[in-house]
Amino acid sequence: MSAQVLVFDILSVIAVLAALGVVLARNPVHSAVSLALTFVNLAAIYIILRAEFLAVVQVIVYTGAILVLVLFVIMLVHQEDLPEFHGGQPLQRVFGFLVGLALLGEVAAAILTRTAVGQIGPWTPQQGAAAGGNVQALGEVLYSGDVLPIQATAIVLLVATIGALVLARPDVVVVPAGMARQVLTISLGHPRGDGEEETFEIPMLPAGTTTKVEAGERELVMAKSGDEFTDKPAWGEHRTR
Amino acid sequence: MYEHLISSYIVGFIVLNVLLGLMAYMTWFERKVLARLQDRLGPTRTGPFGLLQPLADGVKLLSKEDIIPANADRLIFLVAPVVSFVLAPLGAAVIPFGNSITLFGYNVNLYVTDINVAALYILALGSMGVYGIILGGYASGNRYSLLGALRSAAQVVSYEVVLGLSLIGVFILSGSLSLVDIVNEQSRTLNFGALQVPNWYILSQPLAFGLFLVAAVAETNRSPFDLPEAETELIGGFHTEYSGFRFSFFFLAEYINMIVVSLLAATLFLGGIDGPIAAGVWWLVVKALIFLFFYVWLRATLPRFRYDQLMGLAWKVLLPLVFLNIVLTGLIRLFGIGAI
Repeated sequence: MSAQVLVFDILSVIAVLAALGVVLARNPVHSAVSLALTFVNLAAIYIILRAEFLAVVQVIVYTGAILVLVLFVIMLVHQEDLPEFHGGQPLQRVFGFLVGLALLGEVAAAILTRTAVGQIGPWTPQQGAAAGGNVQALGEVLYSGDVLPIQATAIVLLVATIGALVLARPDVVVVPAGMARQVLTISLGHPRGDGEEETFEIPMLPAGTTTKVEAGERELVMAKSGDEFTDKPAWGEHRTR
Repeated sequence: MYEHLISSYIVGFIVLNVLLGLMAYMTWFERKVLARLQDRLGPTRTGPFGLLQPLADGVKLLSKEDIIPANADRLIFLVAPVVSFVLAPLGAAVIPFGNSITLFGYNVNLYVTDINVAALYILALGSMGVYGIILGGYASGNRYSLLGALRSAAQVVSYEVVLGLSLIGVFILSGSLSLVDIVNEQSRTLNFGALQVPNWYILSQPLAFGLFLVAAVAETNRSPFDLPEAETELIGGFHTEYSGFRFSFFFLAEYINMIVVSLLAATLFLGGIDGPIAAGVWWLVVKALIFLFFYVWLRATLPRFRYDQLMGLAWKVLLPLVFLNIVLTGLIRLFGIGAI
């Protein structure tokens, strides 16, 4: 038992230090890495508590997926564009401190009432082992009695996904001058084009204008962005009349 | 109680060392096979058949200068390759290399540990492994490295979904996430009249096997999915700024990942240590070698994907197929055909 307590102490000290690192680090990437360290340490603590499934899911979902996407965003944004991490108005600071304090109080109250008053659930270690292990017991609980909440959660996530897609779709396309030339290329490193912010108008020709070329007549396509090309056939494949 | 712990550590120590040795010879194997496929000889000068080539490579890499770019994020730059390298061999800890044997009066299990979430544990390690690449690319302070890292993050997160979901069919059939249980389940023999077939999941889950194979190649960043290190576009990608032994950490982690994924594929779909005559660890080695050869073969044969093709393949082709497989397997299991 004492070995277990020692391991728990080491893990919790690292977890708390890493959590402090999240708040105190000046570089947002360092914060994110500290957060990953916290998550992994928490997963290890779950394993001590015999909750292997929770531990592994914590690492896969939080460390492996969500935090990687957070890093993705942080790396794409220029450091100068981020709001000052430790700055802010004095009033903001005081308000933030108070909100943090309230949150801490809430968590403490939850923990205290839970351990002092709360009742132990029906699932004892023996019952879990009888079901064939933690994972099997969890599956039985989630997919027999609580099917409806699970499906509701799935629908909420689906709505969030569709919402993200709708929000990300621009309704008015205004193309910066620099990007108009980058037709059909994917550029991960230049989120703001090449810096020129002014837009320019491509002169519009009257609809149905055709132009004479050597091998017959073709439709003249003037496109403002690469997307306008996509539903048109490539040059030379389609001829009018 | 402590006897069990000590025997686990001893087995783990042996597995780790064998894995590191295999990793060195995996580079030799790849160079030889690749050379043969391209009508060349490969390494021949160092020892018989070039067998000392990994040693020569190691000495070369060790003696090179360790350069840290002026623009680098120093701490993360130093730690990133270590993260990659340390996480790579951990997956082998849950792979069963045999049943328990009795040695000097002690009962020794031929696996390091048998946890009841073993398959998910390997997936979790894979999702952690991307940190080495993404942090290495970021910390280099180089646009090309950052691009490689971002590609890698997007690729690994996408293909991890396919990799994880492709295993669900196996879990449904075996009723367990423990690799030891899955191997035991596969060592049964099914009788169809006169025909006797092993219960290997490659036979009952062929679609899942194919999807797993594709996703595993993408997950280990190997050709044709090696976009994070596309030499022609990114001058090397996330490891451009790394030199000497730190570079070799990234390089060797990739090879260990290949070996671990091959062992996992052999364990999950080909019955692991099960074989027609004298079941044992040699069958696992033979099966893993088939997968490793397949990796090299792919590299010699296929051109690299374009970035949008790669993401399109994951989300528009593989993901619907993997859901189809889960639904089919669930239905078959539900109506009792799978429970032969």
